[in-house]
Amino acid sequence: MKDYKQLLLRPLFVGMINLLSSNIRDVDTGECIGRALLIPWRGRILILGAGVAGYALVPKFCAQKRLTFWKCELGFTRHPAPDYPREPRS
Amino acid sequence: MSRVLNVILSHQPRVDLERLLEWWSSCTAAENLLVSYGGTEEEFEKLPDVSRVFVSDPQLRVDKVREKQSYAGVWRAAAQWLAEKGNESFTHVYFAEFDHLPIVPDLAAKLVERMEEEQADTLGHHLRRIDGTSNVHYLYHLSDPGFMEFWRRISMRSNKQVVLGMLSTGSFWTRKAFMEVAVQQQEILVYLEIYLPTVAHHLGFRVRDFRDQSRCVFPVLVQGLSVDGARQKGCWTVHPIKKCPLVQV
Repeated sequence: MKDYKQLLLRPLFVGMINLLSSNIRDVDTGECIGRALLIPWRGRILILGAGVAGYALVPKFCAQKRLTFWKCELGFTRHPAPDYPREPRS
Repeated sequence: MSRVLNVILSHQPRVDLERLLEWWSSCTAAENLLVSYGGTEEEFEKLPDVSRVFVSDPQLRVDKVREKQSYAGVWRAAAQWLAEKGNESFTHVYFAEFDHLPIVPDLAAKLVERMEEEQADTLGHHLRRIDGTSNVHYLYHLSDPGFMEFWRRISMRSNKQVVLGMLSTGSFWTRKAFMEVAVQQQEILVYLEIYLPTVAHHLGFRVRDFRDQSRCVFPVLVQGLSVDGARQKGCWTVHPIKKCPLVQV
């Protein structure tokens, strides 16, 4: 039963999700940093997609040029590449 | 004068390991190799005549991600070997899983040069910061209340929240960083891809990415990945190659 689910249903489900997904663009650079289907669910957002496991998305609210009292946008970005200096030891 | 110890993690039977060591012998002398063996004790006794340590840590033999596989036992065993008399001359450690192959004859020199360029203590493939992100390994660990508490306890950094992730195979270490990470008590279960770079970072070491040298190093099997293809791209190593080719470097 488990094999049947893994072999048939999972790829079918993931394929359908991929069809409905949209590209996720970095809110700072505009670069495509993933592809997923975003679904509001019980006050949260589900992020679904075959590649989600490999992403490291940081949620970030987008800056707005126009002041709106009814709308804001939540996007995603990434941390910069780690570049921490060596910590001096006592 | 730099000298690199190549620690090769394997669980293979003798015949496959001999083939792998023959491959490695094309890029380094046999005395610069240390086999860290994660197979059975019976098979360990049959291994070819090469420097080797047996890793008994059960946490090495669990499901990789769900059970938070650890290389702490591998690090400890290699560090004990390094501390033995006669092994003091090794200044750096290169760690590779059995399916991670070197494809340039002067790998050690290239690694040391890159380390100096980056002024780093540790170099790894696909290094990134994952705290506060959707990274599945980070989110899985976050459900353990001891996870962030552990970093807060051991960290000498001002920001104790930083969590890093990298591919552990193909990582390159200064002797000092390798030894200090090895002696650090891993008090909680943390998946090795998070534990090794994050503990090095919080102990004060500078951890950097291999940048362009991650092009032929992947976490999972990739269709079309080959030694020849990787060479054409100018890569120094390639991963994963499950069957070591007979052709030498």
